[in-house]
Amino acid sequence: MESVPLTWEEVARVHGRKIYNFAYRLTGNPADANDLVQEVLLRVRKGLAGYQPGSFEGWLWRITRNAFLDEIRKRQRRPTNPLPDELDRWDAATSESADAAYDRISLGDDIQKALLELPVEFREAVVLCDVVGLSYEEIARAVAVPIGTVRSRIHRGRKLLRELLT
Amino acid sequence: MRHPLESISAYLDGELSGGERDDFVAHVGSCGRCARELEEVQAVRSAVRSLPVLELPRGLIPEADAEITPLRRHRGFWVGAAAAVLAIVVAVAALVTPAPAPLTADDLASRFGARVSLDPAFGPAKVVAPRVEQGLSE
Repeated sequence: MESVPLTWEEVARVHGRKIYNFAYRLTGNPADANDLVQEVLLRVRKGLAGYQPGSFEGWLWRITRNAFLDEIRKRQRRPTNPLPDELDRWDAATSESADAAYDRISLGDDIQKALLELPVEFREAVVLCDVVGLSYEEIARAVAVPIGTVRSRIHRGRKLLRELLT
Repeated sequence: MRHPLESISAYLDGELSGGERDDFVAHVGSCGRCARELEEVQAVRSAVRSLPVLELPRGLIPEADAEITPLRRHRGFWVGAAAAVLAIVVAVAALVTPAPAPLTADDLASRFGARVSLDPAFGPAKVVAPRVEQGLSE
């Protein structure tokens, strides 16, 4: 059976960096990522007392993505402002040839920018798979959808990324 | 012909069952379109996985500042590889490092604070272990 962190501090120590990377890749900037991490850990702290033994990863990532979705709903009332330097780099890149653009796929800035253009459900599935390293089954538990939906979202997300990056 | 396009990502992620995997591999081996798509999706997947792992800003979670944990489980291979390289470096270093000179009684005395008896009547020098005080000093 999976070992379960017993305290909030243990969750913060063991999973803090993973939560931060998830938050950063979904929001695209450190300030929002910091806020999201704080919110997630607050929810973990409140929720640990009622945690039922089972899949801790599924529980943790369900809390994390729910916190993210709540933040998105709040943001719908106020537009987000991408970092100016990121926009400048993206605009400059659009004048390059398709081959040169394809070569730049390995550059993190462009990938981050493309991730932010994905629909939220594709973005979270791709990030949970490729950044956090969860299995499809764990993602299905976290997102509360059938595993076939996870499979489809990850693939369609990658296909969209491919189109955005070329 | 039906192209199993949505199986491409699952194949790359090791998420196809044995039968599905066999069918997929057989199809891609004879379908140029799916082979090209596999290559493209693999490139994107690798690109996202190559995003740098960001360190938690210090002070954001003070409880986590001292912790170093692997972010991606699928990076376990690299941890193992790094450990293997380290083991080889250590082994090579051990081979090329000259053997230490034999210890003398003086060496032992200086390292361990032992008393050394040099009475020639008893042959080679003897090393006498320092006396260990028992219990708390009174």
